[in-house]
Amino acid sequence: MLVLTRKLGESIAIDDNIKIVVVQIKGKQVRLGIKAPKETKIHREEVYQAIQDQNTEAVQASMSDIARLGEELKKK
Amino acid sequence: MKVKTTRFGELEVNPNDLITFAEGLFGFENLKKYFVIDPGDSTLILWLQSTEDEKVAFPIIEPKIFKPDYIAKLLPADLNGLELESLQSAKLYSILTIPGNVTEMSANLKAPIVINSAKKIGKQIVLQDSKLSVKHEMYKELKTYIVNFSSDDARRTSYEPSIALESGDLKNTKTATRTLEAQ
Repeated sequence: MLVLTRKLGESIAIDDNIKIVVVQIKGKQVRLGIKAPKETKIHREEVYQAIQDQNTEAVQASMSDIARLGEELKKK
Repeated sequence: MKVKTTRFGELEVNPNDLITFAEGLFGFENLKKYFVIDPGDSTLILWLQSTEDEKVAFPIIEPKIFKPDYIAKLLPADLNGLELESLQSAKLYSILTIPGNVTEMSANLKAPIVINSAKKIGKQIVLQDSKLSVKHEMYKELKTYIVNFSSDDARRTSYEPSIALESGDLKNTKTATRTLEAQ
């Protein structure tokens, strides 16, 4: 992994069209501004982990859960 | 072709109905072929069943059923590989998580499944909107819908796809600044 040191207000360029700026440093938090083409997908990494966990949980649904859900949904 | 499934037994599936997820789903990257099962029960839940692993089936539902104002805003990059010629042939589903206490069921609004029903290509897409939850509880909304409309089967497919393009022009590559906060 490439590691670079940047100060507040400094930036990093990736390719010709992506720029990452250190916008604010506050204690243990760093605020980053990202300038990128519209089609570039930008997400916090933990989003992917959360989706993976959710998918793994989803396939555990059993037919008996669905049957119970069907019963519950029918109750007035 | 015959496909074995843990939940539905052995099913006869028309090979033309198989949907290819070239990238798989998150956490299930090695499984590429699925088909949709409609058990026709009162819950309106469908299943995205893998042909390659009989145990893997995702309960899915059209999000408009429980959240009529939900719109998946797709970026041009999201459309890569979907070969969509028009949004009309795109179908949108949320994956459901159904725990032991069924009233705590939730839908993943952050990463829906988009299927090009004309070309039988599917993709799980992570939407940019940071307010969308991977675990949106929706039992009450689903119940309200079912109590009101359970007898009207036609409603299942009567919805327009709730998909919009972030940029109408696919070639628009203008830059936009977004801010992510690292903890």
